[in-house]
Amino acid sequence: MKRQVMAAVLAAALAGCTVVNSVSVPARGASAEPFVTAGDITEPHEVLGLVQVTRSGVLLFGNFDVVGTDLESGFRQALLPAIKEAGGDGAVRVRYQMTQYTPVARVLGAIFFIFPLPSSVTLTGQVVKLKTATAAP
Amino acid sequence: MKRALLAGALALSLSSCSAVTRGGALSGVPADARGMFLSTGSAPGRYVTLGFVQVRGYGVQVAGYAETGHATLDGPIRGALAAEASRMGGNGVIHIEFLDENPSTDYERAQAVAQSLQNLASGQRGVETKDRYVTVTGEVIRFEGAAR
Repeated sequence: MKRQVMAAVLAAALAGCTVVNSVSVPARGASAEPFVTAGDITEPHEVLGLVQVTRSGVLLFGNFDVVGTDLESGFRQALLPAIKEAGGDGAVRVRYQMTQYTPVARVLGAIFFIFPLPSSVTLTGQVVKLKTATAAP
Repeated sequence: MKRALLAGALALSLSSCSAVTRGGALSGVPADARGMFLSTGSAPGRYVTLGFVQVRGYGVQVAGYAETGHATLDGPIRGALAAEASRMGGNGVIHIEFLDENPSTDYERAQAVAQSLQNLASGQRGVETKDRYVTVTGEVIRFEGAAR
C-alpha cells in the first residue's frame, strides 16, 4: 500500500505543478447568449442587480466531477441562466473562484476514494441591460 | 525559563510579521504589438472577450527559503495563463487577479530554518517543508484589428 501511494504521488508530481481551467464564453452580439466581462462596458446600460452563483459537489475518485463544479459549469449552467432569468443582456465586473486540486491531491483522492474531494465554483457579477438607441425626432 | 520566554516574546515582536510577495512588471501602454498583452486593468483598445482562465500554481518551500515549483506570481501569469490564452486564440489577458494563498512571514521563515537545522543536527527528521499555492485568474481577449 505504501509503495502504491509513493508511486502514485511520484507519477503525479512528474505530471506538473500547475493546474489550469478555462471556459470560452459567447462574444458580445455574436449570439443570443448573454455577454460576460470582468471589466466595464462603455455602452449605455441599466443595472438590474447583483448576482452570485455557486455550484458545490465532490470529485469522486479524485477526478469525476459529477455535479459540475468547474468554470465551464459555473459560467454556462449557473451564471448565464441567472443573467437570463434576471432579464439582463449580460454581466459586468464578473469575479470567479473554483476549487483546484493538484495532480498529487487528485491521485490521493483516487486512492482514498471513500473520502471524496469537496469542490465548488462561485461567480459574482453585476447584471446589466443595454439601453437601445432611441430614434431621433 | 521566565527570562527565556521574555526574550522569545521580544524577538518575536521585533521581527517582521508581514509577508510580501512580488512579481515582475506586466504590459505597459501602448503595448508591444507582438506577444501577449497582460494587465490587471482593462485593455487599451477594442477587444472581444474569448473566455476566462483560472490557474493554480503549486510549489514547495524548503527550509524556509528555497522555493521549488510554480508557486510564484510570475510563473503562473507568464507561463500557464499566457499559454492557455494563446491556445484559446487570444492575444491578451486583462483584469488579472492574483493571490498568494499562504505566504510566509520573516518570522516563519526563520523558524523553519532553525527547525531544519535542529532536525538535521539531531538526525531525527529532515528539513522543514511547506506546500505553497498561488492562484491567478484573468479574462482572455483578442484585440480587434491592430489597435493595442
